[in-house]
Amino acid sequence: MDLTIEQAQGRVPVAILRIKGALDASNYEDVIVKARELYDAGTRHLLVDMAEMHFMSSSGLVALHSIVMLLRGQPSPDPEMGWQAFHALGHDRDTGKQPHVKLLNPQPKIRQILQITNMDEFFEIHTDLQTAVASF
Amino acid sequence: MDASSSLRVAAELSELETIHRFVEQHATALRIDPSAIDDLLLVVNEIATNSILHGYRKQPGTIEVAMRPIGDAVEICVRDHAPPFDPTQALSPDLHVPLAQRPLGGMGVHLARQLIDSLTYHITPDGWNELTLVKYRIVPHLPQEEPDGSNN
Repeated sequence: MDLTIEQAQGRVPVAILRIKGALDASNYEDVIVKARELYDAGTRHLLVDMAEMHFMSSSGLVALHSIVMLLRGQPSPDPEMGWQAFHALGHDRDTGKQPHVKLLNPQPKIRQILQITNMDEFFEIHTDLQTAVASF
Repeated sequence: MDASSSLRVAAELSELETIHRFVEQHATALRIDPSAIDDLLLVVNEIATNSILHGYRKQPGTIEVAMRPIGDAVEICVRDHAPPFDPTQALSPDLHVPLAQRPLGGMGVHLARQLIDSLTYHITPDGWNELTLVKYRIVPHLPQEEPDGSNN
């Protein structure tokens, strides 16, 4: 898996995180680390470009989930804590699409995974880069 | 296991790629529908990941993968020697809670249930966990040939 970063300017600055290759349990933490680096450097709007990501396991969903938490300025929970971590945090908001993290061009199979897990309810999914950047 | 279609690797996350290549190569050789191959790759990855992280808990171990065609289906067995655990008994995740109230994990078995036609667990006589998954209708649909030789 390769990760690259590009900066774009819409109404607000948007970082584009491009994920190429396969995303699974062997490397999903690299994505979270990169997102944390971006957040620490000031990124507040992130577009995840999935056009060249040909495989994603449920660990990729964990990465996306963690990125949302990071971009909201909240610590990324420990995946092994499961439900207890979230109940302890006491969150009761956060329904609907996430305003700070959006997805670009997931391949059909990956889009299917997002649908099967209902994760597509939480992410705007764009097919055009300019439109995606302008949507933030 | 049939040696011609089985794989034995260390229970390490770095071996997920090896398992991926094994399933992909054998599924392609069996002329399985590409969409079904994608489903198999994902589910085997999820099962192996669960074995490494939750079965062996990142301690040293072995994972075996074997696959064979059965009629218009393919059967894949994933075996490990971690403490006995039956993931088919795991509760389905609640997919209708807000994102912040969702657990980070727990989707692997859900995906397997959605993408695979049969997922069964048993402990082998020598004490291994064995998950057997079956995917039916693996052959791509081909247009039927008319008696005069034309396709419709």
